[in-house]
Amino acid sequence: MFFYGKLLRAMVLVAVVAAALAGYFALSVYILPHSYQASLVPRKAAPIVTQVSLPPRVTLGQSFAIFVNATNDGDEADVQTVSIGFPNFTGTDSIKVASHNFRQTPMLIIKGKQVGSEYVGAEKPVDAQYAIVEAMSRPWASGNSYSITLQVTPETEGRFVAFVKSIALPHNGNQAHWPQEGVLDQQKELVKVYTVDVAKA
Amino acid sequence: MNERKIQRMNYFRQSPAQRIIGLGSRLLTGYVLVSLGILLAAGGGSWDINNHLLNKPETFFAPPHAVLYSGVALAVAGAIMLFSASRRTESKMIWPIKLAMAGVVVLVVAGPVDFMWHSAYGLDGLLSPPHFVLVSGMIASSIGSLAGMTYHNSMAFREFRLPPALIVLGILPVWLAASGMVDMFSLPFSHTGYFNFDPHPAVGVAVATLAFPLLISVLMCTSSVLAGRRFGILTATGAAFMATSLLTSMVPNDALVPTIPFYVANIIPFAAADALLSFSRSKLSQYAAGAIMGLTFFMLYYPLITYTYNKVTTNITVWPSLIAPTYFAMIGTVVPLVAAPAVAMGILGVIASNKLVVKNKAL
Repeated sequence: MFFYGKLLRAMVLVAVVAAALAGYFALSVYILPHSYQASLVPRKAAPIVTQVSLPPRVTLGQSFAIFVNATNDGDEADVQTVSIGFPNFTGTDSIKVASHNFRQTPMLIIKGKQVGSEYVGAEKPVDAQYAIVEAMSRPWASGNSYSITLQVTPETEGRFVAFVKSIALPHNGNQAHWPQEGVLDQQKELVKVYTVDVAKA
Repeated sequence: MNERKIQRMNYFRQSPAQRIIGLGSRLLTGYVLVSLGILLAAGGGSWDINNHLLNKPETFFAPPHAVLYSGVALAVAGAIMLFSASRRTESKMIWPIKLAMAGVVVLVVAGPVDFMWHSAYGLDGLLSPPHFVLVSGMIASSIGSLAGMTYHNSMAFREFRLPPALIVLGILPVWLAASGMVDMFSLPFSHTGYFNFDPHPAVGVAVATLAFPLLISVLMCTSSVLAGRRFGILTATGAAFMATSLLTSMVPNDALVPTIPFYVANIIPFAAADALLSFSRSKLSQYAAGAIMGLTFFMLYYPLITYTYNKVTTNITVWPSLIAPTYFAMIGTVVPLVAAPAVAMGILGVIASNKLVVKNKAL
């Protein structure tokens, strides 16, 4: 009688544990993952550069300010960058960050340094061919605006060019970059081109 | 007169057991402070990893660091208390106190070294020399504290078990600190501008697959032994680990909040293993419990484990908002592949726990 009682207890224990585990593994490995895969909608950030200010012409030797303001019109972005490229420069000696309110300190990138490309960031690195200032906020909440002011001193007379773009990461659609059309830069990403005439002193 | 005086002195003289109990309250406070401190420090460390993923902090003075070093301060207070209490005993200082104090000293040394490292190299990776020293100190002091609590309880009450709250408080910091060490050698978070301490992806996966199941099994089995195989303590310890993980790794990331029910389901295997260990004394039940606990590691170490296994599966950039989709896309493939080693390590954990805790009374 005692033996049968023990056996019955063991059988009940095994049955309860087996049922609990079967339910757990079915839930954790199959049911919930499939349910989440269907229900978890990726966030869609939408960067927009709302203002770019720079003078139409300057005199050689004079510095001038470039002000760029950007916002996120979509969902929160894990990372959103604002990038200002200077094809006239290979170094960053003539660029100073005068002010900014980004969450992270802007980076000054010189020619030869690796940068991300094709909107996938570090997954496709390329060597920079010219100087870039890259500012980012991580994360960049929906509706938030960040701006940066650079003090730039052109080194030669003629046309001084600045490439401006903003990219949200993860990049999950055309809405995740600004501008939507324009020129492809060294990173095979669309940029809007701004120019300043540099006249002889 | 003189004889009466001696008699009175004898009247007030304590028995060895009474002395241990009397001293025990000071020692116990010391152990509790060390364990609480390490719990806070390890929780702060886990929050720090998450903070780095979400916010990219640039300085040493980040909120998770404040929590971490508050925990260190608490552990230091505990170590001082242990030192002063142990000096009152006539016998030699026991090894758990020495281990707890040595661990705290290492922790204290790691703080300024970490600050210097940040000052010299800016943003640091998960695995760095000061972090390694810090986590080593956390492991040593938390093990010392758990062993000390068990030792003094067994000396005072002649029973090799602990009250439930002390089991959870003693085991949890060991678990979190040891998990932090495994994370260091498995997560690809250690590539900075100056150094690349990232483990090879295959090595990272091997470390995680072998170490996490072993760790869960050893500690859960130990909690059951310390509870005298009473049902509920193992489950409570597992729940405490899950609560810490939820608070430090999931709640701060809005994108992971909808997946909390998935994580909470991990209480089921803990309860199942607890039932097996509590209601059956057979070796088979113990091995089955170890196997169950080992098998849960891939679910229990969600969400961070996504980064380790992503490196050998899809190797895409796992953005914080995409951790859940990436994890749930791989779980159906990874769990069957890691099941055999996880079960084996889980069983090994039970054997190790039996050898260490039950036979050798190492704690």
